Parts: sequence; C-alpha cells; structure tokens
Amino acid sequence: MRPLPFAATTALALSLSHAALAATPAEVVDTYADIAEAGYADSLSTAQELQAAIEAFLDAPSPEGLDAARAAWIASRAPYQQTEVFRFGNPIVDDWEGKVNAWPLDEGLIDYVDASYGGATDENQLAALNVIANPTLSIAGQEVDASTITPELIAGTLDQADGVESNVARGYHAIEFLLWGQDLNGHGPGAGDRPWTDYAQGADCTNGNCDRRADYLRAATQLLVDDLAWMAAQWAEGGAAREAVTTDPQAGLQAMLTGMGSLSYGEQAGERMRLGLMLNDPEEEHDCFSDNTHNSHYYDGLGVQNVYLGRYVRPDGGLVEGPSLRDLVADTDPALAEEITAKLDTTVAALDAIRTAAENGTAYDTMLEAGNAEGERLVMAGVDGLIDQTRSFERAIAALGLDAVAFEGSDSLDNPDAVFQ
Amino acid sequence: MRLALVLALLATPALAGVEEVTQQHLRPGVAAFAEATEALAQAARADCTAEALRPAYDAAWTAWSPIADLRLGPTEPAALTIAYWPDQRGAGAKALRGLLASDAPALRDPAAFAEVSAAARGFPALDRLLGDPELSGYGTNSPTCTLVQTVTADMAAQGAALAEGWQAEAEALASAGEAGNARYLTEDEAFRALYTQILSALEFTADTRLGRPLGEPGRPRPTRAEFWRTGRPLPNALASAEAAVAVAQLLAEIPLPLTEAALDQVRHAAAAIDDPTFQNIEDPTARLKLEILQQRVRALLDIVEAEVGAPRGLQPGFNSRDGD
Repeated sequence: MRPLPFAATTALALSLSHAALAATPAEVVDTYADIAEAGYADSLSTAQELQAAIEAFLDAPSPEGLDAARAAWIASRAPYQQTEVFRFGNPIVDDWEGKVNAWPLDEGLIDYVDASYGGATDENQLAALNVIANPTLSIAGQEVDASTITPELIAGTLDQADGVESNVARGYHAIEFLLWGQDLNGHGPGAGDRPWTDYAQGADCTNGNCDRRADYLRAATQLLVDDLAWMAAQWAEGGAAREAVTTDPQAGLQAMLTGMGSLSYGEQAGERMRLGLMLNDPEEEHDCFSDNTHNSHYYDGLGVQNVYLGRYVRPDGGLVEGPSLRDLVADTDPALAEEITAKLDTTVAALDAIRTAAENGTAYDTMLEAGNAEGERLVMAGVDGLIDQTRSFERAIAALGLDAVAFEGSDSLDNPDAVFQ
Repeated sequence: MRLALVLALLATPALAGVEEVTQQHLRPGVAAFAEATEALAQAARADCTAEALRPAYDAAWTAWSPIADLRLGPTEPAALTIAYWPDQRGAGAKALRGLLASDAPALRDPAAFAEVSAAARGFPALDRLLGDPELSGYGTNSPTCTLVQTVTADMAAQGAALAEGWQAEAEALASAGEAGNARYLTEDEAFRALYTQILSALEFTADTRLGRPLGEPGRPRPTRAEFWRTGRPLPNALASAEAAVAVAQLLAEIPLPLTEAALDQVRHAAAAIDDPTFQNIEDPTARLKLEILQQRVRALLDIVEAEVGAPRGLQPGFNSRDGD
C-alpha cells in the first residue's frame, strides 16, 4: 500500500478519533464502576457455585465430588482475577483484598504437611500449627479453644495470627490447599494430589481429623462467599466504592490508572512473575496447589485491558461496555491511545502464550526451574509487556492532567505548608 | 496542568539534573561497586574465613548502598540477585542448606551458581554464611569456604556486568526526549523516573527496613531487621537516606535547605541508636529511638516531595515495589 502523505494521515487519525469520542470523565468512571460491579457479582455467583459443589462433596465424599469442587474453584478464579485491577487504586478494595486472595501462605498452619515443609521458622512460629489436628492451640502465648472450627474462629483468631502475613487462614488459597493439598512434585509435572478420602468420614478417613477438615473447608468457603457479597454491594448503586470513584471523576480516573499500573508492574510483573523466576521456587507461583497460575496471570492481565477498553465479557458471555479510558486518552493524544492499546494486546498475547503452554503440558511451575530457557522466555515476555505498558500508563496520567490530583496520604501536595512547619 | 508542567520544565531544564545524577552518582556508583566486589572475591580467595572477610564484606556494602535503591534499567533485577530482602519464607537459608548438603556444581562453579535462587546469592548468602554462628565457624578447607568463594566470585561477576550494562541506561537517560529514544519520550519522563526512585527508597527504608523490625506495638520483631546477623540494619537505613538526598540534590539543581535539615534530623536520630543490629528493641527505650528514626525518615520523604517534586507539579510514577 502506498503510504499516505503525513499530513493526510494525521488528519485522518484526528477525524477518526473525534468521531469515536464524546466520552467524558464522568461516563468513563461510570463504565469502570459498572465493570467492577459485574466482576464482583460474577465472583460472588461463581463462589456460590463453588460452595454448592463443596457441600455436595462433603455430604457424600467421592472422587467425582472432589473433582467437581476443584473444577468449580478454577471457574471461580476467572472472574475474580479480572477484578484485581480494582485493587491498588481503591483503598476500599485494597484494605479488604487480603481476606479473599492473600498469598503466599504457610499452609502448615491449617492442615498436615509433608516432612520436607519443615516446622516453625524465624519469621513464623505458627508455620506448622496444624489447626485441623489440634482442638487446642497456643498462639503467641495464648491458649485458644479451636474445638469447633467456625468462620469466626478463622476470621477472628487464625487469619494473620501473631501478626504474620503468611498465616493465611481464609480466602481462595486456603480453600485451594484444602481441595488439592501440597504440590510435592517440585518442578516436575502435576498439581497437589490430596486424596478425596481426606474428607471420608469414619474408617475410610485418611490423614486423620476428616470431620474437622470438612468443618474447616465449609467455614472457609462460607467466609469467601460472605466477603465477596460485601464487596459486590460496595460497587452496586449507592455503594461506597462506586461513590468513591464517581463523586469526583478525576479522582476516579486516577484510581483506574493507579490500579492498572500498580497491578501490572510492582505486583504482577514483580512479585508474582519475575520473583518466582529469580527464586527458582515452584512454590512461588500464585495458584501453587492447583497449578492454575497460568490462568490467574492471564485473567489479571485481561482485567487491566478491560478497564482501559471499557469492556468486560462475563462468564455467561454477557457484555458490560461503555465509554472508555481509551476514548478519553484518544481525545487528548490519539497516538498515545493507540500505543496503550497495542501494548495491552502484546501483554495479553504473552500471557495467553503462557496459558497455552501450560494447557499443553508445560505447567507454570516447571517454567520457573533453573536453566529452563524456554520457560524463562515465556514468563519474561509477560513481565516485559507488563512493565512496558506501565510506562505508557504514566504517560496517560500526564496527558490527562492527573498529576494534579493528590495521591492518598500525600501531605506535601494536599497541604504543602504543613510539612514545612 | 500539562502546560504548567511544561513551563516549569522550561524554566529549569530537567535534563541537566538527570545528567548530573548519572554522571556524578550512578556511573561512579556502579564502578565503585564493581571494584569493591572484585576486592571481596580476591579477599575470599586469599582467606575465606568469616572474620577475615568482614572488612571487605562491609566495604562492598558501602559501595552498594548509594545505588541499592535506584532501581532503573539493570539495577532493578540486580537488586534482587545482589541484595534480595526481605526473604519472608526463608528461601535463602533453605537453598544454602541444600547446596551445602549437596555436591552440586553450583557449590564451586560461579557460572552454575548464577542459576540458583536469587535469595541464596549475594549479600543475603554472606549474611548467613559469615554471620550465623551455626555456619560461620567454618575452616579454610570446608565446603562452606568453597561456597563463600563462589558467592563472592558471583558477586564480582555481577558487579562487572552491572557496570557494563548500566551504560545503556545512562545513555537512555541522557538522551531523554530525543528521536529514537523509546524508553524516555521526554526529559520530564527521565526526571520523573529518578524522582520516583528517591521517594520509593525513603518509603522502603521507613516502612520496611525500619518498619519490619518494629512490628506492632508490644510485638517487636528484631530478627526481621535487614541482614542483622552481619550488623547491617542501621548502616543500611542511614546510607539509604544519605543516597536519596545526594540524588535529590543533583537532580533538583537548586539548593535544598529543608531537605538537608531533614537529613540532619535523620542523622541525629540514627546516632542515638545504641545497637546497630536493632536486636535490643524489646527494650522500650531502644524501641522508641527506632520509632523516632522512622518518623525522621518519613519527614524527610515529605520534605523531598515538597521541595523537589511539588515545584514541578510532579507526582511519583509507578515503581517495582508497588505490589504488596
């Protein structure tokens, strides 16, 4: 194709972008809140399906019942991971998030573990507490009655016990551990392989305390459902999280970009992907018991793209769509709008390549193994895409004039005189 | 806002400050670290024992600290393979124990060692091997001695690679805004990248270097202090604040009297601390002194934002430690 003269191309691009726009900040943050509302509602409904599958399994334990519960857990992760983009920009989400998706965990707090796990560590005296085997516990010098395992015991006493972050007693990953057990295959193929008989009652029970294990799984699942119901309500009409981003659309735009950038760079590229590679640790993967990490990473990346494009595809195929951040950026800087669109495409494609490799038999944990050059290449392509797109988000913050909006807790910009006193 | 920013930058060209930071701080910084790690490796070849190696170990820290928190380009991954911390799940200790119990090539071959867990390389490895009484009594013909020589040789190789790899980032910073520079599209982006590093360094020192050992009121966590086995907690915290201010001064190109005064307060608070390893913070007075140091570092952060960032209407960008 013969290239158009430069001026003509520019004029065409401008006219196209003007035809497409008419997005206002208020409309864009409305779309954002709509996507959040739908995402948390879908997280809730899939968690309720998980709860139904777990109840059916616990009522009549069987290999098929455990498989069904595991499948429901994996299905529930797809909408939830797409909501992680709402985390860092919204304090109401960030303060709550640890209840449902805290990771990594010292799973020996909850249940039996393999001898290779070790015991208490410098960091965590409770790393091998094993609540399921012990009706009476000692936590930081206090005796705790754990004879009945309830949501209250888990939420009020066990979670974050002794102020240690890795004492994760609730949320998706606690449930994941209870469904799969430890993945003892190292970098080799295979996920956790907990026998269904860990929940068989009576003489068939394996590894002891099957009644208490069932109680724990029930209670942790109830907590997850309750926590997600609470967050879904925050984004519904009149909810506090929706109000927080729609009352001041400029602040809402800042929340959008803060969430996109912090999730992409520090959290996903850094903590979750590159660190695992550099530590060569098969436990350093987000969904380490189920070997579902490839999906978690993919849906995290997709969530960032959703927020930018103002478009979310629900698990039932329904579409939530509206005026987008992309439209708004295009109004100010069409080239930047396209730059971000292209970078998000690149990242999502890289994360999808990891997913495809995993589905074809190269599990994510094997990609982390020292000397696995192809695994490293796949993971680093995702990392590079995430870091690269973050730079463009910074450009969008500048282009939209959001520098002027004070970040949470920044005294110097809210009130410059205060710090000189 | 965009217009105001541009006008401010026209009044004080951002790139001059960026060049000062690269030429006067980062370039000599990575070169000094390469020299210090080479000296450390040589010292380990001459005498690997823990006591003999401590001066060269501390000298390597002295060289690393000024650049440790400026995570741009190659220093960003290097920060993980040279000084991975905090290691919340004890991955480093686990990997070192595994290596010492094995006869793996990584024990004696620096190239093979470069493939092991980042948590078991660099300073974290030496903190354990030189500072943990259960490990540090090794003799000159022991597997631990061999491992110490391998760790230090790997550090020297990393130091050399960093000095080499840094050139590209220095060039990208220096040519910010020029055609063909895809990394920094404007001078403003280069300025902001360095400014973000200053703020995140101070935040990391206040919240993590000092915040982790402080723990919650009534529940201090002395063993969560940074490389406490080899006495690094206080020197590292102070060096981080010193480095942040040194970079701020070069970057801003205007006198920063308030920032300098705030740094003096940090120095005073640090001088009042009796145990540089923070292992005495079960004692309420010692804990209070550490809390005061943390407050002083936070105050310094606020002052830098006000004196360096606010006049340019700058907010920090994203950094690699934004996650949880």
